[in-house]
Amino acid sequence: MNSPEPKDPVNPFGKLTFLVVDDFENFRLSMRQMLRSCGADRIELVAHATPAIQYCTYNHVDVVLCDYNLGEGKNGQHVLEELRHRKLLKRSSLFLMVTAETSKEMVMGAREYQPDAYLTKPINRAMLEQRLGSLIKQRNALHPITREIDRENYPEAISLCLHALTRQPRYKTWLMKTLGELYFLVGDLAHAQKIYDDVLHQRELSWARLGSCKVLLANRHFDQAVQGIKALIERHPDYMEAYDLLAEGLENQGRSVQAQQVLQKATEHSPNALLRQRHLAELAGTNQDIDTAAEAWRQTVVLGTHSIHDSAEHYLSLAQSLSDLGEGDSEETGAEYSAEAFSVLNRMEKRFSDDPGIGLKSRIVQCRLLAGLGRHREAENVLNSVSSELEGLDDVPVDLTLDFAKTLFRMGRVDQARHILAELAARHENEPDVLQKIENLLDEPVGFRQKLEARGMNRDGIKAFEAGDLNAAVEAFANALEIVPDHAALNLNLVQVLMKQYDLTTDPKLLEACRQRLDRLSRLPVQHRQHRRYVALTRKLKGLTA
Amino acid sequence: MTDPNIDFSMVLASAVHDMKNSLGMLLNSLEELRSEYNQTLAGSEKFNMLQYEAERMHNDLVQLLGIYRLGENNLSAHIDEHFVPDFLEEHLARHIPLLQSLGIEYSIAAEDISGFFDEDLLTGVLNNTINNAIRYTRSKICLTARQEDGYLVLGVEDDGQGYPDNMQHSGTPSFKSLDFKSGSTSLGLFFASSVARLHTENDRSGAIRLHNGGALGGGVFEIWLP
Repeated sequence: MNSPEPKDPVNPFGKLTFLVVDDFENFRLSMRQMLRSCGADRIELVAHATPAIQYCTYNHVDVVLCDYNLGEGKNGQHVLEELRHRKLLKRSSLFLMVTAETSKEMVMGAREYQPDAYLTKPINRAMLEQRLGSLIKQRNALHPITREIDRENYPEAISLCLHALTRQPRYKTWLMKTLGELYFLVGDLAHAQKIYDDVLHQRELSWARLGSCKVLLANRHFDQAVQGIKALIERHPDYMEAYDLLAEGLENQGRSVQAQQVLQKATEHSPNALLRQRHLAELAGTNQDIDTAAEAWRQTVVLGTHSIHDSAEHYLSLAQSLSDLGEGDSEETGAEYSAEAFSVLNRMEKRFSDDPGIGLKSRIVQCRLLAGLGRHREAENVLNSVSSELEGLDDVPVDLTLDFAKTLFRMGRVDQARHILAELAARHENEPDVLQKIENLLDEPVGFRQKLEARGMNRDGIKAFEAGDLNAAVEAFANALEIVPDHAALNLNLVQVLMKQYDLTTDPKLLEACRQRLDRLSRLPVQHRQHRRYVALTRKLKGLTA
Repeated sequence: MTDPNIDFSMVLASAVHDMKNSLGMLLNSLEELRSEYNQTLAGSEKFNMLQYEAERMHNDLVQLLGIYRLGENNLSAHIDEHFVPDFLEEHLARHIPLLQSLGIEYSIAAEDISGFFDEDLLTGVLNNTINNAIRYTRSKICLTARQEDGYLVLGVEDDGQGYPDNMQHSGTPSFKSLDFKSGSTSLGLFFASSVARLHTENDRSGAIRLHNGGALGGGVFEIWLP
C-alpha cells in the first residue's frame, strides 16, 4: 500500500522503540511490516508473555503492542499489570492492547491498570499510522508531565499540568483526569474536589463523578459519597469501578452485608478481576457468609495463577474457609471440604516453597482439619510440633498467632489460647483492628455455624428485652451463652436483664446468677471494648448486694 | 415442543457474538491477504466485494448485539471528551484500503473541535454509515464535523443518488416500518438513532437526520449529539 498522505517533517515513529507481543507469527511479521512502513526502525517481536516481561526488564521500550489473547498462560492484561506494577514500563511509555473482539468486556476485568489504548483487529496500515501517530503525538506533548510522574515528583507534575491546560486544550480530558489523581495522591483533597467539580459543572461525566465520590469518601462524608455512587450506577450499570467504590463506602458506613451484595453483583458482571474477588472474599468472611467467602477465595486462587497479585495468603484463606465449612459438618460434604482444603494447602506449599513460614501456616490449618475428621492423634502430633516451632520464633505475625489460637481452641487447649491472645492484645494495644480480631476470637471460639446461631439468639434476646418480655430475653441470652459461654457482650446483656428482673422481684437468686456471669469475665483484657461496661455492671452489682 | 428454559434471545445473542468474532478473524485475514498480494488484488472486484460484504455483516452483527444490550437495559453511553478530527481520521483509516481499491475519493472536513460522546458507540455508527456510503456513492465520500446550536454534528456525505424520499426524516425509524422486501432493513439507522438517544445532556438528547444535497450533492447522514 502506498499512501500519498504527507508525513510529519520529523518522523515520530523513527525515534521510538517498539515491542510487539503476539502468539501468531504471521501477525507479528505483518505488524512489523506495517510499523516499518510508518517509519519505525527499532522493533522487537516476541510470542509470549514471559519473554515480553523479560525484554522490558532489560530494555527500554516506548511502545508495547500486545495482543490480549496469547494462548496458554498469561494474557495481555497480565502482561500489562506486571509491567506497570513492577514499574518495568514507565508511565511515559505506551501500552496498546490489541483485541480480536470489538467489545472490551473480556479485557475489562481488572481495571487497576488500563492500557493507553485498545486496537481492534483487523488492523491495516492506515489505521495503525493514524491511531499510533496521534497517540505518539500526545505522548510527546505530555512527556514532560509523565516524566515527572515517573520520578514521583508529583508537585512538579501538577504545575506542568496546570500550565498545559491553557497551552494544550486538546488534551484537556487527560490533563483534568491526571490532575484529579495527582491531587488525590498528594493528599490535597480540596484541590482534587475542585478539579472534579469544574468538570462536572460543565458536564456530568462518569469518571469525574467517580473521582468526586472518591474524594467525599476520603473526607469521610460517607452518606454523601454512597448516595452519589448509587446514582452513578443507576445511570451506568456497567461501570465496574463504581461498584468497588460503593462497596468501600458501604463498609465505611458499617453496612458490610450490603457491601458484600454490591461486590457479588459486580463479580457477576465481570468475574475476572482478582482484587475484586479478594475484596468480596474478605467481606463475606467478615459477614460469616463462609460459603460465599470460600467460592470467592477459589476464584481468587484461580485468577492468581498468572497474576502479579498472586499470594500464598489466598490459598491459606481458602483452606481456612473450607476448614470452617467442614467443621461440624458430619455429612459427606464435610469430608469433601476437608479433602479440598488439604489439596489447596498442598498446592500452596509447592507453589510458595520459597516462603520459609509456609509449612507452619499450612500445618496450623491441617491440625484443625485432622481434628474435624476425628484423627485426633495425628492432630495432637501436628499441634505439638507447631507449638514448639512457634516458641522458637521471636516475631510471630498477628494473623499466624490468631490462626494458631483458633486451632488451640478447636483442640480444647483453652487456657493456652487465652494466654497467647492476652499477650497478643498487650503487644498491639494501640491497634483497634488487631484488638477487634482478638475479641472476636475470645468471644466466639467456635465454628461459624454456631456463631451464627448464637448471634441469632442474641438478636432475639435484644428484641424480647425491647418488647419488655424479660423472661424470653433471659432464655434467649442463656441459650446463646450455652454455645459461646465467654462472649463478653452476651454475658453483660444477660446481667442487665437479670438486674432488671431483680428491680421488679428482689429475688436474691437473680443477683447470684449475675455474679456467676460476671465471674466468667474476670479475665477480660482491659483493651476489650466491653471492659468498661463490665466494670460498671460489677460496681452496680456490688451496690445491690451491699 | 417448546422448552420454557430456553431464553431464545440469549441463545441468539451468544451465536451472534460468536459469528461476529469469527468475521473479525476473517476480516483480519482479508486485510493481510490484501497487503501480501497487493499487486494482484488491487482493483479486483471479487476481492473488494468479499471485503465489503464481510465488513457489512460484521457491522450488522455489532449493531445487533448493541440493540440486544439496549433491550436488556445493559447499554449506557460512557461519554467522554474526544478530539473530533482524530476520531474521524481514525475511522476513515479503517476503510482506506477498500476505498483506494474501489477508486473512491475520500476526505475529512472537520473543524478543530472537541466533542462529548461515547467512543465505542459512535465507532459502530460511523463504521456502518461509511460502509453504506461506499455502497451508494458514485466517486466521493466526505466525513464532516461541526458545531451547531450547541450540538456536535458528525456527518457522512456522498455523491450518489441520495436517500429515497420516504427515508429522509429526522425521527426514529421503528422496527414496524422496516421494509424487508427492499433489502434494506434499516437496522443501521435504528441502531444509529438508538445511539443518538443514549446521548443526553440535561433535557436535550441526540438524534439522526437524513437528507440529500450537501457539498457533494448526494446523501447526507448526520448524527446530532448534545
